[in-house]
Amino acid sequence: MPNKVTIWKLRNNNPLRKSYMNNNIKLEEFDALIKITVEMSRYLYPYIREILQSKEDPENTSVIWNDFNKRFIELINERFNINSMRVKKLLNQSGNDEIIIKSLLILSLCISNKGYQKMINYLFI
Amino acid sequence: MQNRLLFHQSSASLEVIGLPDYSNNENKDQISIISQWKLTIIDKPLIEGKIQHLGPIMDAFYIYSNLLINNEIPLYESKLIDMKADNLHIHNIVLKSSKPDVKPLIIKIGNSLLSDIINCFDQLNESSNVIIKKSAVLNNIPKKVRFGLNNKVKFFNFFLPPLIAICSLILFSSTFIYFYNPVEDKEKNELINSK
Repeated sequence: MPNKVTIWKLRNNNPLRKSYMNNNIKLEEFDALIKITVEMSRYLYPYIREILQSKEDPENTSVIWNDFNKRFIELINERFNINSMRVKKLLNQSGNDEIIIKSLLILSLCISNKGYQKMINYLFI
Repeated sequence: MQNRLLFHQSSASLEVIGLPDYSNNENKDQISIISQWKLTIIDKPLIEGKIQHLGPIMDAFYIYSNLLINNEIPLYESKLIDMKADNLHIHNIVLKSSKPDVKPLIIKIGNSLLSDIINCFDQLNESSNVIIKKSAVLNNIPKKVRFGLNNKVKFFNFFLPPLIAICSLILFSSTFIYFYNPVEDKEKNELINSK
């Protein structure tokens, strides 16, 4: 990745985004995005863990989870194409818990040195 | 003097105790003959065992996490360990002792502890100081998981013979196909007419 602008452009390959543009992402660029994701999840592991933990105790009013979910929905509303059915599913507050938890769990399991390989496996299984 | 190695991740830590295999010219800091291991989880009972228990327990956690992520029913059962999801956030682990008259140990862990434990196992797998001799992977697959594989094999066994039969019939019969040639037919008609 030569610079941040390249990463920003690559993000637009996501068909769920409002600014979706099909630039035909190359294999090396796809690999680079996965490596960045793995590095970020390694860096953010304490926060990811905290969010997962906040949902585990049903008696505890999970402030951390509510904050995270609120910000997640805000970002999706701001940047994603909300007319898409898949995005609507992400915005459904009662049904998006499973998607969020599984996504966070995948990120938390890919923080080792072989996290890149694990992430590839999870994406293609 | 035995070597001790500690792999730590947030609330979980895995301690491996053992010796290097000097007959294999190994470094004195390495461990390839594991005599004992201990998995310490904050606020949970200590889990410990010998080398023959470590492999199956690690496999159980890896297979269970894969089932959980792949939207399949997260259930793992074996002689040594059972793992089942209570709900999306809590997992029930039953550790069965190989010693007689010892009650199984039941532990409930959340997603955060599950990822801590798997990350400890990842560190152990990736460590150059510990060499774990792995047994055949298929032997360790529990009955519940192996059932799925058998079903796939049975499915292929059921459909493959008729498929091969149909293909071979098509190939064989294709050699006898008669293609209508209008030019040849015209020539024949002309010969008949000329007579």
